[in-house]
Amino acid sequence: MARTDEGGVAAQITSQAVTLAPATAISIAILVLWQVIVVVLKIPEAILPTPTRIFDVMVERHDLLLQHTWPTTVQCIYGFLLAVAVGVGLGIMLAFSRLFRVGVYPLVIAFQVVPKVALAPLFIVWFGLGMTSRVLLAFVIAFFPMVVNTFAGIQSTDPVMIRMARSFSASRWTIFSKIEFPTALPYIFSGLKIGITFAVIGIIVAEFVTAQEGLGYLIVFSEGNVDTPMLMAAIFVLSVVGVILYALIVLLEKLVIRWDVGQQL
Amino acid sequence: MAENSIHVQIVSLRKIYQTRREEIEAIRNVDMAVHEGEFVSILGPSGCGKSTLLMAVGGLLPISGGSIAIDREEVTGPRRDTGVVFQSPVLMPWRTIEKNVLFPIESLGLRIADYQDGAAALLEMTGLDGFADNFPSELSGGMQQRVAICRALIHNPSLLLMDEPFSALDAITRDAMNQELLRIWQEFQKTVLFVTHSIREAVFLSDRVFVMSPRPAVISKIVDIELPRPRTLEIEETPAFNVYVAELREAIEG
Repeated sequence: MARTDEGGVAAQITSQAVTLAPATAISIAILVLWQVIVVVLKIPEAILPTPTRIFDVMVERHDLLLQHTWPTTVQCIYGFLLAVAVGVGLGIMLAFSRLFRVGVYPLVIAFQVVPKVALAPLFIVWFGLGMTSRVLLAFVIAFFPMVVNTFAGIQSTDPVMIRMARSFSASRWTIFSKIEFPTALPYIFSGLKIGITFAVIGIIVAEFVTAQEGLGYLIVFSEGNVDTPMLMAAIFVLSVVGVILYALIVLLEKLVIRWDVGQQL
Repeated sequence: MAENSIHVQIVSLRKIYQTRREEIEAIRNVDMAVHEGEFVSILGPSGCGKSTLLMAVGGLLPISGGSIAIDREEVTGPRRDTGVVFQSPVLMPWRTIEKNVLFPIESLGLRIADYQDGAAALLEMTGLDGFADNFPSELSGGMQQRVAICRALIHNPSLLLMDEPFSALDAITRDAMNQELLRIWQEFQKTVLFVTHSIREAVFLSDRVFVMSPRPAVISKIVDIELPRPRTLEIEETPAFNVYVAELREAIEG
């Protein structure tokens, strides 16, 4: 009974395409309906441009869009990676140290209640209008789900599994690295998926406020010029960036977690 | 096998659990001597403290009084010459079967390369050859428990501690596993301390059965099972087998 899924990659892609088919059909229907409504009701372009108009803008002004897509993407990744490092690290500390649980965890929860977006002006005061402020905002928004999920994941370890490891003289490090961390991995990946979408929000809000570069900046700039087709084109590109970043994490998850987590989560 | 030297010696063992409200006396006073190569079952009703006793022998639970010695050495923690099989297989779902079997080798800091052949041999002996690269979720409950037995044997321990290992399996699988366990035991000649609440299982497997009373536990009876070996399932139909079953049932209920 060898594992058969190596040969099934093509079949897997086909089956995913089949699964996506209904959603794709509905999306196309919505776009067609949108186009028809705008044309028939003669809605002004500044209020709602047609999908074809937005598409034209994306083709014609692709250099401007790409120029702003790059910093948004890169800074989003920086903020996200910082959140992964600090969030997962703090989650591990919480799982292991009672001092962290009583001393730090309440603060983390309290901090989560603060609307992070409100920190953007403060970051500008402290770190200026540059990349640092934007990356930090993405970081503070994205890190909470990583902390909570890492902590919860480690805590979900089966105590009998730990006892089993102890029966084979496992060290504390072996128990963490070979049992608790792998147990937590599916939880951590849930945190990463939430975190990456949060990081995108953080970067865009920061770009609204700092108004230097990036798709968020392009969005407020276009709004100022009443260039709604450009505004919507920027939103569309931003969505594509978000989907790609999310998909990369799902891909990484599929590569790392090859076991059946059905009973685990 | 009475002439063999004593492998596990338990003297006046006492175990008290401290809960928030009260002290629970799980084990009052247990004396046991298990000889080398002997198959000994600890039989008792659920919750009588027999698993507690086994975990204490494995060095996984602190004791409140008395002493446990393995090879005349006081047990103070998990030992390298002991293998434990738990009630559930507790396999790591992220590891293949082979990697699960080899876990004790990593945990004990031994060279994995030295034990890969041994893992393959154990898997073959338990009918799991061909499953080395599968994940636990792809195996049935009985197969998973066989993997757990292979894991408990991989580092060649002299003492095997088994905590109701087949209680979660259906009756047919359980019979098959019992026969297999006897085959393994006969091949390796290890000392086995086997906890169960099944009278028939205890009689079928054991050289001696220690009956534990309900909490607070003491050993209420010791029965020598003088049935011929090797044993097969047919032995369960013999009068001698059923005399032992009746004797043990009386000991538990009386």
